[in-house]
Amino acid sequence: MLSPQAKRRWQRFKSLKRGYYSFIALCVLILLSLFAELWVNNRPLIVSYNDEIYFPSYGDILPGSTFGLDYAWETNYRELSEKFKQENNGNWVFGPIIPYNPFENHFIEGEYPPYPPSMENKHYLGTDMAGRDILSRLVYGFRIAILFSLFLLVITYVIGIVIGALMGFLGGKFDLVFQRIIEILSNVPILYIIMIVASIITPNFWTLAVMLGAFSWMGLTWYMRTETYRENTREYVLAARAIGASNWRIILKHILPNSVSILVTFFPFSVVSGITALTSLDYLGFGLPAPTPSWGELLQQGTSNLDYIWIAASAVVALTIVLTLVTFIGEAIREAFDPKKFSYFS
Amino acid sequence: MNILKHLALLCSGILFSLLTSADSLPENLEWQTNNDAPIWANPNAQKGGVFTDFILSFPPTLRNVGPDSNSSFRSHINANQLGLVNFHPNTLEVIPELATEWAYDKDGKTVYYRINPKARWSDGVSVTADDFLFTLEFMRSPHINAPWYNNYYTEQIISVKKYDSHTISITGAVERPKDELHYYYGINPTPKHFYKTLDENWVKQYNWKIVPNTGPYQISQIKNGKQIEFKRKDNWWAKDFKYNLGRFNADKIIFKVIRDVNIAYSHFEKGNIDTFTLVQPEFWHNKATGALYDKGLIEKFLFYNDMPRSSSGVFINQDHPILKEKNIRIALAHAMNFEKVINTVLRNDYERLQAFHTGYGKYSNNKIKAREFNLKKANEILDNSNWSERDGKGIRIKEGQRLSLNLVYGRKEHTERWAIIKQDALKAGIEINLVLQDSSAHYKTIMQKQHDMTSLGWSTGFRPAYWQHFHSDNAHKPQTNNITNMDNPKIDELITSYRSATDTTKRIKLANDLEMLIHETGAFIPDFKVPYTRGAHWRWIKFPDVPGTKNTGNLYSPFGNGGLFWIDNKMKIETKSSRKSKTKYPAVNKVFDQFKVKES
Repeated sequence: MLSPQAKRRWQRFKSLKRGYYSFIALCVLILLSLFAELWVNNRPLIVSYNDEIYFPSYGDILPGSTFGLDYAWETNYRELSEKFKQENNGNWVFGPIIPYNPFENHFIEGEYPPYPPSMENKHYLGTDMAGRDILSRLVYGFRIAILFSLFLLVITYVIGIVIGALMGFLGGKFDLVFQRIIEILSNVPILYIIMIVASIITPNFWTLAVMLGAFSWMGLTWYMRTETYRENTREYVLAARAIGASNWRIILKHILPNSVSILVTFFPFSVVSGITALTSLDYLGFGLPAPTPSWGELLQQGTSNLDYIWIAASAVVALTIVLTLVTFIGEAIREAFDPKKFSYFS
Repeated sequence: MNILKHLALLCSGILFSLLTSADSLPENLEWQTNNDAPIWANPNAQKGGVFTDFILSFPPTLRNVGPDSNSSFRSHINANQLGLVNFHPNTLEVIPELATEWAYDKDGKTVYYRINPKARWSDGVSVTADDFLFTLEFMRSPHINAPWYNNYYTEQIISVKKYDSHTISITGAVERPKDELHYYYGINPTPKHFYKTLDENWVKQYNWKIVPNTGPYQISQIKNGKQIEFKRKDNWWAKDFKYNLGRFNADKIIFKVIRDVNIAYSHFEKGNIDTFTLVQPEFWHNKATGALYDKGLIEKFLFYNDMPRSSSGVFINQDHPILKEKNIRIALAHAMNFEKVINTVLRNDYERLQAFHTGYGKYSNNKIKAREFNLKKANEILDNSNWSERDGKGIRIKEGQRLSLNLVYGRKEHTERWAIIKQDALKAGIEINLVLQDSSAHYKTIMQKQHDMTSLGWSTGFRPAYWQHFHSDNAHKPQTNNITNMDNPKIDELITSYRSATDTTKRIKLANDLEMLIHETGAFIPDFKVPYTRGAHWRWIKFPDVPGTKNTGNLYSPFGNGGLFWIDNKMKIETKSSRKSKTKYPAVNKVFDQFKVKES
């Protein structure tokens, strides 16, 4: 159940149309990307072969032999579809709107990649230098980027909140020591460290997120610390303590809910920084290993091949749209959580 | 520092003994020379004109040894320092340069040379035997701060002896075939009269000094950070020399510093630069087109050469638990679709490399063909090697182990190629994980032999070299070039014979056999080669009918074995003025395949 205060904030957020619609748009995009296999894929949704129905979108590959072809590797559904059409045996293939997966090198006879956008080839945004569909790579790249930044957000928030709250709550030496640690860590150039590490080991999704997370939780602690300091001296906390509530209970049940507003306002901006961090690392070649679909890698290809403008343009436009959406949401949240509007101070 | 001092003492000790020993020439020496080889330039070439080229950065020093000297500009300086003899760029015969005659000692590691008495430094001083003795002192000196040279001129060049002012002998460390003696032990003279002092200040003191040279050009003007100008010597001592006729025609060669290739290209289109090498597909296919080319103002040349090719491809670590099986390596070779990469992202500009040593003339075994992409073969081999099961993703498994291999590579711009190879290998049930490392980390990984397989290209040499890459002495241990961990008694045996053989026919046979054995192990999967050089030049740059030689890496090289072109000044004026008018000349887009290697 939402508290009355939260309800009012939600109402306020909804009334800020620009942010609210951006929020809906972003949610739709995320949702769509989560089910990308169903609409951007070289695997079809449904194959009907000899009166049996197959749903190849998810799960294991179906080797060519499943459909009476003479090979044991994954079926080439584009060829299969053509074959079925020619045979006209009542077999059919029903495919997604964008019939390419992000890894597939699709080459057109007699032409050299990259191919410009074309409705006929169903490369709606063209292909990159290796003949891979850009739209497909954008969609899957978006999914990775957004999941990455959400996961990064969880790591930074958990560490940041716990340490910040403890600093504010315990104070004294603990506070002092961590203040220094944070100051030191904040001065570490994260991007360089990751580049150095990435040049030695090849990072994957998890190691990259943990590495970035380990160096980006510090900003949050300051806010959490001040909030905790302030709330700690309030009557309701004193009352809880008088009843005999444990420290953890006070932090989790009393202080945290009352400081959450300030954290929520940082939410969208953390998402933005997560996406930018991953994109810039990929751009420099120190991010996720090839051939992972990635916006940074597309940008890199685009900028080194400016003659094929659709590569850079797609990546730049996509990045701008998503970052603008998130910023709009951020503004609206900040506005909705503005204590000047709904003040509970007495 | 103590070691350095000792070394210095040792060096001067050796030198002292060299200088004081009054040797006499052994009897029965058979002096040889070679004035019958064909010339490779057009003797009627016009002299004159100014040739302008560009360099991407200003050289950090003009020294050719010592710190920072290994910049690309060094080749221009070195190309104007002649050697005792040269190799004919087409026939590879030994031809005279500073020496008029040479003779071989019975010991198999000493060569005698008679220095041409006409030979002069650019300051007019004669080149004498003492300049060669001084080379040894110079190159062994700790003051030049060049450990590699210190080592080479101590370990490889054992001694230089003077018999009279124009006769010397050089002795190397090991016996070698005759022509290789010149290649490995033939040292250049160093102007003793110019380097008055050789002390700890040498590096700083000689940073920007123009050292006297023996070649056709000398630096005449330096605009710091902007350009370097070479001027042709008016009375070059070797200008009437048979093999120099028709070469080195431009009066001045100017290297402008232009820090960006694209900007340099626009200077070329304006006519500020005379020529432009266009090996990059992007430039050749896209940029080098349009009105200037259609109107015949700029001409395009593609020139096939026949020189040693970089041994470039995938090196498989044979100590890897899966890859130690030969069958798997061979299946892997059949699962890599290099042909598709060539036909698509490489725009058919590259060709498939067939073997480890290619382009070494008879030393290469041209019968070897790289294993072609053939899924049927790959799948058959794997099915028969107990790898017949596949998991849900189509990757083969054996006893719970997936056929998943890491490919380490060091160049970001190669990612596209490997992405294509990876996709096609999946069809054979092989998962190739692409691991991009920055070049120094990549080098470290392979030197530690921590790779499953790696993509790499070794630079070329004068003759095939096997010991460093394939002898078991270098296997299973870090910091050696045997990155396939080749450990094969048969190969070892042949390598030992190859290294000690001094008879050319025998060596060629051994090299051919070795090449085949290496191919059979499947430890190296060759990838690509570029069998030509290509570029464009303004129409006033003129060439002999055959514009280069077998070993021409750059058609527009003004020095070394190049310098074949000349400048038609009348045409230059005419062309520059007709640029604005609508005059059209026939478009020129020539392919020269005289040296194209016909592959059977």
